[in-house]
Amino acid sequence: MRRPSARAAIIPLLGLVAATMLIPVPAAAQDKYPSRPIEFIVPWGPGGGADQVARKIGQLLEADLKVSLPVVNVPGATGQTGHAKLLSANADGYTIEVMTGDTFALAAMPNSPIKLAEVIPIGILIQQASGFFVAENSPMKTWADVEAEAKKRPLKVAITGFNSPDDLSVSYFAARGMKLQPVPYAKPGERYTSIIGGHADLLYEQAGDVRNFVDSKQIRPVIFFYGSKVDAFPSIPTSTSLGHDITLPQFRVVLVKAGTDPARVKMLSDAIGKAAQSPDFKAYLKEQYADEASYVPADKTQAYMQKWLDEARHLMAAIAAKK
Amino acid sequence: MLDVLHQLGGGFAGLLQVGNFVALLVGLVVGMLVAVLPGLTLVMGVVLALPFTYGMPITPSIILLTAMYISGTYGGAITSILFRIPGEPMDVPLLWDGWSMAHNGEPARALGWTLLAALTGGLITATVMVTLAVPFAKVALTFDSPEYFAIVMFGFTSVVTLGGGSVANAFISLFFGMLISTVGVDEIYGVDRFTFGIGMLRDGIGYLPVMVGAYGLGEVLVRLEQGFASAPMTGTVRVKTRIPRLKEAWSIRGAFARSSVIGVVCGIIPGAGATIASFIAYGVEGQYGKRRRELGRGIPEGIVAPQVASTASVGGHMVPLLTLGIPGSGATAVILGAFLLHGVQPGPQIFDTQAALVYQIFASMFVAVFGMGLLGYFAIRPLVRVLYLPEALVSVFVIMFCLIGAYSEHNNITDLWMIVVFGVVGYLFERYRFPIAPMVLGAILGPVAENAFLTSMISYQNDWTIFFTRPVSGIVLVLALVALLFPLYGHWRRQRAARLVAAAR
Repeated sequence: MRRPSARAAIIPLLGLVAATMLIPVPAAAQDKYPSRPIEFIVPWGPGGGADQVARKIGQLLEADLKVSLPVVNVPGATGQTGHAKLLSANADGYTIEVMTGDTFALAAMPNSPIKLAEVIPIGILIQQASGFFVAENSPMKTWADVEAEAKKRPLKVAITGFNSPDDLSVSYFAARGMKLQPVPYAKPGERYTSIIGGHADLLYEQAGDVRNFVDSKQIRPVIFFYGSKVDAFPSIPTSTSLGHDITLPQFRVVLVKAGTDPARVKMLSDAIGKAAQSPDFKAYLKEQYADEASYVPADKTQAYMQKWLDEARHLMAAIAAKK
Repeated sequence: MLDVLHQLGGGFAGLLQVGNFVALLVGLVVGMLVAVLPGLTLVMGVVLALPFTYGMPITPSIILLTAMYISGTYGGAITSILFRIPGEPMDVPLLWDGWSMAHNGEPARALGWTLLAALTGGLITATVMVTLAVPFAKVALTFDSPEYFAIVMFGFTSVVTLGGGSVANAFISLFFGMLISTVGVDEIYGVDRFTFGIGMLRDGIGYLPVMVGAYGLGEVLVRLEQGFASAPMTGTVRVKTRIPRLKEAWSIRGAFARSSVIGVVCGIIPGAGATIASFIAYGVEGQYGKRRRELGRGIPEGIVAPQVASTASVGGHMVPLLTLGIPGSGATAVILGAFLLHGVQPGPQIFDTQAALVYQIFASMFVAVFGMGLLGYFAIRPLVRVLYLPEALVSVFVIMFCLIGAYSEHNNITDLWMIVVFGVVGYLFERYRFPIAPMVLGAILGPVAENAFLTSMISYQNDWTIFFTRPVSGIVLVLALVALLFPLYGHWRRQRAARLVAAAR
């Protein structure tokens, strides 16, 4: 048998070497920031609102900061699993997180695992009305139908996780005599399947997140939790118009870990501000049925979140008083 | 049906894009190389390719990985036949008839049968996948959490009992994997579990470091212990492939049909897979084949059965992955990872939200099957040359790729330590004859099972009977139980027979 030449063996080897060069190997932390990819934690599964906004803003930031912002989905426990990941990373500005109102509502509880002091918020990206949705083929067509049905039998409500605004909203109505059973689905895909497949009777969601299901006539909103009518759905009642003191709009904020170098924080928040003002992002907000003036700059974010938290506490107290 | 064909046409058109086509080609070649190297399993190859897809758009990423997956079920057969070196565990049955036929002086014919078998298995599986996926997704929409729990349980019991070897060891391995997956913040209530106050454990242990460590590093350690002494290479690379005549192939159509069904079914069952399909198909041929007495002496049936089944399992695996989001094997778990990384959650709704992507993947499967055949026919000689690389050198590359790949997933040093730890675990498992596959499956599907269980309990007011009273979940759970008890029954029967024999003496 002819022994193949060593050269023949070298060729695949060279291929391997060439292939290794394609892997982006991060350089050691240097003075220049950012000099390597910034990990963008989404504490929810792919395809949901938090994921969508992170990927959108990440793409805009990439062009500005000249590094990539890979999204890492870490779903679970109302966003606490992903948040734990931010807190276990170094405070060097190379790990950021998009937190949603769902997770932040946990901060309203005593002994909460979520503490505003452990993080630095660097800008609110999006504010949206949440609502209850039913499947298009459901016998319940309106909020009045839902109220009537929930007096007769327990309705299952697909929510993101326990103690979220979803859960609070469900408790609010449960405290008013409606039979509602919240069921947590951390992965948006499972949550949407549960309503379309008929495993849940109601879905708590923001209209923009489920736009393709709404547009394809698979689900429809029955009530929005908002202070004013939602422009795209003029016929759908709002909590305020029905006399319910419950709004808690969904918001999504970008965080870095407390202790991060202020110069880096400023650099990131400036970049986010620029991206949030871009026509591209404005178009995205419109597509998401979001508030046009969603963006809150870093210096005002803390106050916004504090106010939101007070509202959540107020709601919790109201629920507790009613029970 | 017409709609499916129309969409599939669109998928084929999408493949004409340069990026997608290059991904397909690279996937085929790399898959083949990985399958040829005994030190590098197919699953490892897919794992190691994953980091390269981080920067790519989603379509070429998935096409690359699935192309690797399908051609990886074929390459190892060639080294089995020519050199008596099974490149993958699934190629072991090919040592018996494949190598014998080559040894009897007909290597070209043996290679031809393999090629035909891989082509047939591939085309059947791609067709079944396309026709099954949409109806399966419709059915899957009616699945609630109890059904998901039942399906995962079925996967667990099948991996334990089908793997062969000690059932007790397989259970230990499975439970170890499930235990690993519980480390970290729990998914429903947010409680810390097994974190011992260590920050890095709160993140939990992902299945990727477990897989990379146990399969990649563990395998290198095992071979290091053996002093990298691979089997001596006998035979020749200078042969051509001779495709069998249609008439010859038609005469053993039974073997083709039986093993296609076995392959697809083993693919759909989570936990079973190419290796198990290959062994079962060979076994069935030995029991029911027309020429079962001659099996092992180099007859075509013995080549066709395992090869058709291995390749046919690929499409079977893709169905639950796409329609339920449940990966039934290591390779599909990695492909799921690639989906998630690019922001797409496979599940029943994927045909609504990502139809174009799904049909491009389907179309790529068909092209991949033909590409694999062409590659096997024309390029196999240069490809098998990788076997002449010193194994120590290959191992160095494997280790390097393991570490780089795991690091670049999260840029997290912790993951590197996890790989080292699970590398040692994998080595010890291998050393003391504990199967690795159940551990990996436990780590992958453990959280799915737990989540489905808790969601069911919450959703049905803590009524545990719901798992048995819902028809689909009840039936699947009974099947899982049967899968578990069947080998025990066999064991009991053998023991009883032995006792009777002893008593008669």
